[in-house]
Amino acid sequence: MEFLIEHLSKHFEKKEVLKDITFTFESGKIYGLLGRNGAGKTTLFNCLNRDIKSDGGRFYFMEEKTVREVKAEDVGYVLSTPTVPEFLTGREFLKFFLEINSESIRDSRSLDEYFSYVNIEPEDRDKLMKDYSHGMKNKMQMLINIIARPNLLLLDEPLTSLDVVVAEEMKQLLRSLKKDRIIIFSTHILDLALDLCDEIVLLNHGVLERVDKSNLGSHEFKDKIISALREENHD
Amino acid sequence: MIKTLRLSFALKNTYRVNSILYGLKQVPLIKKLLPDRLYQVQGLKIFANILTVIWEIISVFLGKFLYFLIMIAGAALLYKNKEADGLYLHVMLFLTVIGAYANTSLFNPTRDKYYAITLMRMDARKFTLVNYGYSILKVIVGFLPFSFFFLGGAKIPAAFCVLIPFGVAGSKAATAAISLWRFERRGIAFNENRLGKFAWLAMGLLLAAAYGLPAVGAVLPKTVSMAVFLLFFAAGMAGIRKIVTFSDYREMNRQLFSQMMVQMDDAAKISQKQTRKIISADLSITSRKKGFEYLNELFVRRHQQILWKSSQKTAVVCLFVVLGFLLAFFVRPEIKERINELLLTFLPYFVFIMYAINRGTGFTRALFINCDHSLLTYSFYKQPAMVLRLFRIRLREIIKVNLLPAVVTGAGLALLLYASGGTDNPLNYAVIFVSILCMSMFFSVHYLTIYYLMQPYNAGTEMKSAAYQLVLWATYMVCFFMMKLRMDTLTFGIMCIVFCVLYCILACILIYRFAPKTFRIRS
Repeated sequence: MEFLIEHLSKHFEKKEVLKDITFTFESGKIYGLLGRNGAGKTTLFNCLNRDIKSDGGRFYFMEEKTVREVKAEDVGYVLSTPTVPEFLTGREFLKFFLEINSESIRDSRSLDEYFSYVNIEPEDRDKLMKDYSHGMKNKMQMLINIIARPNLLLLDEPLTSLDVVVAEEMKQLLRSLKKDRIIIFSTHILDLALDLCDEIVLLNHGVLERVDKSNLGSHEFKDKIISALREENHD
Repeated sequence: MIKTLRLSFALKNTYRVNSILYGLKQVPLIKKLLPDRLYQVQGLKIFANILTVIWEIISVFLGKFLYFLIMIAGAALLYKNKEADGLYLHVMLFLTVIGAYANTSLFNPTRDKYYAITLMRMDARKFTLVNYGYSILKVIVGFLPFSFFFLGGAKIPAAFCVLIPFGVAGSKAATAAISLWRFERRGIAFNENRLGKFAWLAMGLLLAAAYGLPAVGAVLPKTVSMAVFLLFFAAGMAGIRKIVTFSDYREMNRQLFSQMMVQMDDAAKISQKQTRKIISADLSITSRKKGFEYLNELFVRRHQQILWKSSQKTAVVCLFVVLGFLLAFFVRPEIKERINELLLTFLPYFVFIMYAINRGTGFTRALFINCDHSLLTYSFYKQPAMVLRLFRIRLREIIKVNLLPAVVTGAGLALLLYASGGTDNPLNYAVIFVSILCMSMFFSVHYLTIYYLMQPYNAGTEMKSAAYQLVLWATYMVCFFMMKLRMDTLTFGIMCIVFCVLYCILACILIYRFAPKTFRIRS
């Protein structure tokens, strides 16, 4: 399966944030989306998640040479600031989510199995989520987004404010999830992208561009990325 | 000095002008006409600057004029057989003491001060002194003409009419000096926006002295009041020395700003915190339902405080009002006829009452902050079928919550009509009852509909839609003017029922057509 974006564009008033995005993502890979502040990473995600309407272009899946349109349930979107309904307990939220999506979720497991999967302790499962820590909220958000097994998982700076242990757990989780799906991971942190991602994609001047790693050591690769980001900003 | 004054003016102006322009940019239609470069357009800025200068001049005089007109001369009308001069001075003296500590300008942390001192790093002492001097000057200049007009008109000697504005300014300067001295001793800055309980108590006592004493015949002799004003002036002169030599304005302002930050702490954050607090921590609240019904039941039961409990309280109050009237009919049967007449012409008034007791906006705010704000980030929640299914459940729920006080009010009114002598046309009973229910339903539908169609909040839970606020305001205005309307109950009631039914149908059509697209977090 592939996910294709063709000529996607978006402008705000006179500013062209996304100019002409054309790119092919392959399943089974984690893509690190890098870009400077204000480059339009979140705008791109919002367009793909249909939170904002793009001006032009299209995106779709290609499965065995047939085109398939993207449906809402194909996309999972994890935001940098985790948002969970605070008046529910973790268990209630999960139960609600599973009931609503009972038709689309294959081989569902027990609630406790899901909680254990993301290391949420038994004593926390029946607490109101307004009392959850940042890391726990993040895990809940991630859990909900992965249970539905979306074909495309968008992660907007998801690990930035987590403590080292939770961040490591999440990384492991993402690695275990990448089979048969496309994960696009936006971040400012170059080392994180290099550590976790299979491919590095730059968003610069409204265009997506893959950075080729061939035959480069990690240090040289890093230099190449930085100079690419820097150069294009001085056009 | 002039430079500092000019700079602080420029800063305040820029901030005011930009706020106006920003506000305009939020209004639909107008927003499309305005370019992005709006903030660079010189002509617009000059125009806005002229407006703010005019406003500055008006504000110097308008406030003082209203103060004299309402608080002193107007209030004095309440007391007959009192000499105006003594009474005016008496009231003014006590009000001046309140103003001396509750309206200082020196201890009022405002955004423009914060921008100038903290962000622009202007010299705190210079800035504070220049601005304080300017504000005191405004007090004197603003008071002078009205002092002559009102006090002079009450035959107070001209020399004293001149003295009084200086006395008022003096009282402010003297209390400011005391507060500064206390800051030096204890390190705690006085903040006029966060008065302690003693300050409030003192205010109550002073108000009682200002307006209560004359009511029981006790008015300070003219000469005493005049002497105290003279004393204020002298104290003020002494206070100015302290104000000018005080050196810790930077520290003091910092303390005030940090309190202001907590106070502002983004209005959005505060309302977010408060709304979160409403969530009941009672974990024995559970639900046996499934899916969206499950979500809804948990939401409603964990928000009892603003939903059912509050509507029950309202219903009880309505019940007591009805019982009160019944009792009044029994005790004083002569009022029956008048009430009966009112009931048959007063129905439009109840539009406003139903507006006032509706739980609609509280419900939608809690819905967003505690529920939709987070769930709208999940794609499953935004699927059109899901949006509509939940809308139906929520609509049913909020109609139910609001219907309780409406049933009590409607039935109560019909009962009062009967008990006050009845009506020739029995249809009136039904129309009163049904139209009150319809009004309640209308508001429930209205608030939920505009919430779904305009979803005014952004990801930071700030309300970002001027259009939404406009609709709320228009709703208020319409309801307000309904109070002025007098119409035969039968006619108005039937019109009201027809309107409400049509509105509900229209709202549901709009929701089904547009809500799946409009029910999003505002970007």
